[in-house]
Amino acid sequence: MDFDFTQEQVMLRDLTREFMTRESTPRAVRTLMEDERGFSDATWQQLAEMGLQGVNIDAGYGGQGLGMIELALVLDEMGRAAYPSPYFATVVLAAGAIAAGGQATQMARYLPDIAAGRTKATLALIESALSWTPAMVDMQAQRRGSEFVLSGVKRFVPFAHVADLILVVARTSASDSDGTTVFAVPSDASGLSQKLNVEMDRTNRTSTVSFEGVVVPADAVVGEVDHGWRVIGPVLERAAVCAAAEMLGAARRCMDMSVEYAKVRQQFGQPIGMFQAIKHACSDMLLEVENSHGATYYAAWALDAGSTEASLAASSAKSYVGDASRKVCGSSIQVHGGIGFTWEYDLHLYFKRAKHFEPLYGDADFHRERALQLVLARAAADESRSQAAPALTS
Amino acid sequence: MDLNYSAEDERFRLRVRQWIAEHPPGALGSVAQKKAWQRTLYDAGYVGMGWPREYGGQDARPMEQAIVAEEMARGDVPGAVNSLALGLIGPTLIVHGTDEQKQRYVKRMLTAEDIWCQLYSEPDSGSDLASLKTRAVLEAFEDGNRWVINGQKVWTSLGPIADYGVLLARTDPSVPKHQGISYFILDMHQPGVEVRPLKQITGSSEFAEVFFNNAVAQPENIIGREGQGWELAQTTLGFERGGSLLARVTRHQANMRRLVEVTQTLSRDSVPVLEDPVARQKLGRMVVEVEVLRYAGFRILSKLEQGKRPGSESSIDKLYYSEMDKRHQELIQDVLGPYGQLERGLPDELSLNSSTLRGDDATWAYNFLWARAGTIYAGSSEIQKNIIGERVLRLPREPRADRVPAGNREG
Repeated sequence: MDFDFTQEQVMLRDLTREFMTRESTPRAVRTLMEDERGFSDATWQQLAEMGLQGVNIDAGYGGQGLGMIELALVLDEMGRAAYPSPYFATVVLAAGAIAAGGQATQMARYLPDIAAGRTKATLALIESALSWTPAMVDMQAQRRGSEFVLSGVKRFVPFAHVADLILVVARTSASDSDGTTVFAVPSDASGLSQKLNVEMDRTNRTSTVSFEGVVVPADAVVGEVDHGWRVIGPVLERAAVCAAAEMLGAARRCMDMSVEYAKVRQQFGQPIGMFQAIKHACSDMLLEVENSHGATYYAAWALDAGSTEASLAASSAKSYVGDASRKVCGSSIQVHGGIGFTWEYDLHLYFKRAKHFEPLYGDADFHRERALQLVLARAAADESRSQAAPALTS
Repeated sequence: MDLNYSAEDERFRLRVRQWIAEHPPGALGSVAQKKAWQRTLYDAGYVGMGWPREYGGQDARPMEQAIVAEEMARGDVPGAVNSLALGLIGPTLIVHGTDEQKQRYVKRMLTAEDIWCQLYSEPDSGSDLASLKTRAVLEAFEDGNRWVINGQKVWTSLGPIADYGVLLARTDPSVPKHQGISYFILDMHQPGVEVRPLKQITGSSEFAEVFFNNAVAQPENIIGREGQGWELAQTTLGFERGGSLLARVTRHQANMRRLVEVTQTLSRDSVPVLEDPVARQKLGRMVVEVEVLRYAGFRILSKLEQGKRPGSESSIDKLYYSEMDKRHQELIQDVLGPYGQLERGLPDELSLNSSTLRGDDATWAYNFLWARAGTIYAGSSEIQKNIIGERVLRLPREPRADRVPAGNREG
């Protein structure tokens, strides 16, 4: 039983933190918030030199072949620095889906370029219905000879405006349990258009992406036709844990800023941290951050270890950390008082960063329901000694 | 990071599980039965596992202790009756006691030959324990000096059945309050000690009040030095925190399983409660929060396995599980409606106290009421937050009226 990071994991975290502290300063983040593309090619390339886009990618495809714990450590630091980049979209979602698809030709085609920082990619999943189940996929992919024709609208596609490659989930047959297929589409495909949103969190950009008769060849299929959720299900589960890591990092930053501020801000002739009202608010933040740390890294470990508890751990992490980060970041604004409400003060960068991930890849309600289903399924399995467990559906 | 149980751990778990299956405790109504059960557990090697061998323990790894606690919770097996001696008092004596004290008392704690209680809180000294007023005065008698003790204690667990108590009493009112306290071993079977069960909001009496009217302690029954009592009590409190989180998790999971069964039976608007999305959110919240406690338990265990002692951060765990229990009992009440409040008359198919859960009193109503105690005893939530804020986050300590020079204090 060992809950400590290995020496290598600590080194990776320290390296990432050092880089983020240097390159993703609040000033740099603010510059990118105003930037049209919303990220810096220079830091993206530096990350690639550090091997971070390939942290999770197999060594055979130019990556480091490390696990979820390492990926979570990197994302924890990125959340802490509110680092604006297509990292989550490219590494967690797109590379994750290609790896989950498992076809050697596609992995060889895309993963080395992703690992090297040459390809930025994203996943177009959500449509107008807010749901994380295959039933919400309405976008059509019509088979035409050896090709597919894609028509429909995808929302909240992260960093689509700078992605070279868009993975898109479309319906290939009528079925509520699946019937979806994942396609890899170049972002400059004919019939594809985008409209950029302005998010509350300006360190994350999203777009509405429209597909009007976009034609893709059969070899664009990632995974198997009509079984898209075999790819998307695992990606969503991992994305839930990765989102927890991002929110944890942002919450940690908000807590640190609050504790420091409470030591120096004076009112009524004493530091406000001396008052129990403020001290206890800070103590509650630490409780939430520590629990979130335990939940996030236990889930990351469980996924790496192929534990039978991985799904329950992932849902526990996403649901718990989603609520916890909202509480911590919200409380940090309260502890700061008026200055925490100003645009000039940096707190809102992290407050909004955490908020961005809260509804994504299943919100807290969704994962509470899923956690309950998993526990009920386990109890039933204990009785019948079967191995049944529900997929990522509600 | 490796959060699997090792093959060795799993083998040990199976051995424990088998032992528990083969040793049903039977009825444990009387004190004699409870003591006999502890003796059985001790002979099996499941009492004082973490204690050094030279004092009758096993020098067991923290993991083995956790597994035994978990399996006992899983089997709904009552623990050792002498819980305070095993958890706090014994370890304190082992560290701070004289050789004679250790020889005389420690082994008998393990075998339940002597039951111990802890005489700390007073009616006017709860969170501010160091303000305690029970006096111990060294007086000369014909056959030598003795400490004479007068005052009152409250919230004494095991008080009515205790043979000995560890007592915090003021021996020097002229120095600042933390320095004037000494730590005694007190014989509970003497004319100057009166124990009265304290009836709580549960209607039961897990705690007692203890009155001292010229009770006595021999000079050799002081633990540590005169005036060192507060320091020793702090280490004692340190043992009390962070306890056995994983056993707690197992009990919560067992309650949860029963709650799920009950919500399949109980219906609202002709639908089983378990199918109601609002109720499901509440159940899901409980599942998730107990999981998070389980991960916290692994973190503590990982630390202990490396030979590190959990420090002030165990205040975080105490704060979390006690507040969580209160929250969960409220959610359970929401789900069960008026059935949750029944102390008697609850149909069997809705009761908590069905087959596997501990004790005759374990109704939903009892658990709901009992949860209110958890955020008060062993350092209230507010005290835990002060500790976290001041010792972990290093926020400035608040100015306190009691931190004044000794000469300015009253009595």
